Amino acid sequence: MSLSSRMIIVLTTVGLISGGFLAGVAKLTEERIALNIQAEIEEAIAEVVDNAEVNQKVYEEEDLVIYRELDEEGALAGFAVQATGVGFQDKITLMFGLDASLTKITGLTVIDQNETPGLGAKIEDWNSFLQFWENKDATGQLTLRKPAARTPEELSAAEINTITAATISSKKVLEIVNLSLEKVRQLIQEGKIAKEEQDGD
Amino acid sequence: MELAAIFISAVLVQNFVLYYFLGICPFLGVSKKIDSAFSMGLAVTFVMSITAVVSWLINNLILIPFGLDYLQIVSFILVIASLVQLVEMFIRKISPPLYQALGIYLPLITTNCAIMGLALIAALNEYSFVETVIFGFSSGIGFTLAIVLIAGIREQLDLADVPEPLKGAGIALIVAGIMALAFNGFIGMLT
Amino acid sequence: MATKSIGQEYLKGLWDENPVFRQLLGMCPTLAVTGTVITGMAMALATTFVLIFSSLVVSSIKKLIPSQVRIATYIVVIASFVTIADQFLKAYFYSISEALGPYVPLIVVNCIILGRQEAFSSKNSVGRSLIDALGMSSGFVLALFVLSAIRELLGAGTFLGYQVMGPWFKPWIIMILPAGAFITLGVLLGIALLIESKTKRSQ
Repeated sequence: MSLSSRMIIVLTTVGLISGGFLAGVAKLTEERIALNIQAEIEEAIAEVVDNAEVNQKVYEEEDLVIYRELDEEGALAGFAVQATGVGFQDKITLMFGLDASLTKITGLTVIDQNETPGLGAKIEDWNSFLQFWENKDATGQLTLRKPAARTPEELSAAEINTITAATISSKKVLEIVNLSLEKVRQLIQEGKIAKEEQDGD
Repeated sequence: MELAAIFISAVLVQNFVLYYFLGICPFLGVSKKIDSAFSMGLAVTFVMSITAVVSWLINNLILIPFGLDYLQIVSFILVIASLVQLVEMFIRKISPPLYQALGIYLPLITTNCAIMGLALIAALNEYSFVETVIFGFSSGIGFTLAIVLIAGIREQLDLADVPEPLKGAGIALIVAGIMALAFNGFIGMLT
Repeated sequence: MATKSIGQEYLKGLWDENPVFRQLLGMCPTLAVTGTVITGMAMALATTFVLIFSSLVVSSIKKLIPSQVRIATYIVVIASFVTIADQFLKAYFYSISEALGPYVPLIVVNCIILGRQEAFSSKNSVGRSLIDALGMSSGFVLALFVLSAIRELLGAGTFLGYQVMGPWFKPWIIMILPAGAFITLGVLLGIALLIESKTKRSQ
């Protein structure tokens, strides 16, 4: 057998075996990976909307997904909005909850971020950032409180706390939320998402 | 992301060497003289720009449409390895002076994690075609900037009294750390 | 080389030929994922998996591969095991896989792995290649452990996520930034060389 045909045979065989093997592994893990991604979203929803049992995706575009949340009796528990935007260093993906009347933010959690460790990454931290996001006004623009307040009670309903030494990351999160809120209000006006159960799709 | 932001980010903020730690081997190995560091940087920029285009085409025209995402790693590394060979042969034919300048650095690039990292990070960020091209080119510029800067510092360090055990890689890494810290300051440019 | 005992074959990877401290290989994962001990160790174990299985495969098929295409073959073998490691982490350790990001696929360009195939597995028996791979992996695990332990302890005051430092301790944020990775590794390399030269002199 000539050298070049041997080279081709060896490379093709190795390629085929590896390709086949990997296809098998991908089949085996595919389902679990999809479940993991699903679980991550469900977990985030549970953190921001109380009593959410059933998630219905009601709107989806690039960088914005809206879920309608039902409690265990099937009554409307609220909405969850998943949004992605540019942060300080990289993209930030976050999830925030809205109450059933779509006027109040019930909470916020960060799904994915690559901010500076120890500084901007605190947007994931409950004590320094997330606790200040409960019960915020969702009908207008939110603003940043700087210098930072110590307790959530010191802030007005339209104010969000700044993380000390990570103003920009805090601001970026706020921008993503403000932008998504605007979009949500527009969708309500267009009748694409509705508060009442029977109006949904 | 805006194209200008991608450029600034890849050159200064998320610099391949100082933020992603990619391409450390040539960064330490070929950074003793400014001339050779610059040639290495050019070779990497060149290969990165081409890799960005080719890997985007493969990922978006073959792997994703056919649901073959799991072959991403295998196909990227094979494409990069053969691409570097092709580029080397091509340059040797077309432009002997350029080959003289870049030639010896090209084979070193195959095992350069920066190239593979570029293909993977561009795929991970789901950049569009134009964004990928800009990202590839500017990442190369960022690499060149880092390697030329450290070569300049290392040329001076030759004259300094560095403790014996730190000579070579040790002090180069510490200098790189201080550089990384300085580059942190550029983050402000993006906001 | 054939005169080395099994024990020596294993131990050389830990110190004399430690891939990180002595050969300066595999620097990018070493620097990138050692902000915490957990990510550092996850990376070290994933690399161990890839190195061991690639060495086993390469040393068993070495006679069948024409030397002109050996590198291409090694790369396909390594890339396959990297893909398996990546899929496995995504399926069973999702949060760790998220934290490691692009650095799991990047194991494929870790020079330690290709280097061992070219320098060792392609010339030695399956058994010896396994011992060599185990030794090199242990050396890699050791290096990543030391580096990530120092960085997590000083950068966050924790170890494996548990608070170790008292409330008086103010975390050195620089340690978990890229800059801290470079500086810590630079100092460790210096210490490794210092120990080496001290032991040489005393012999």
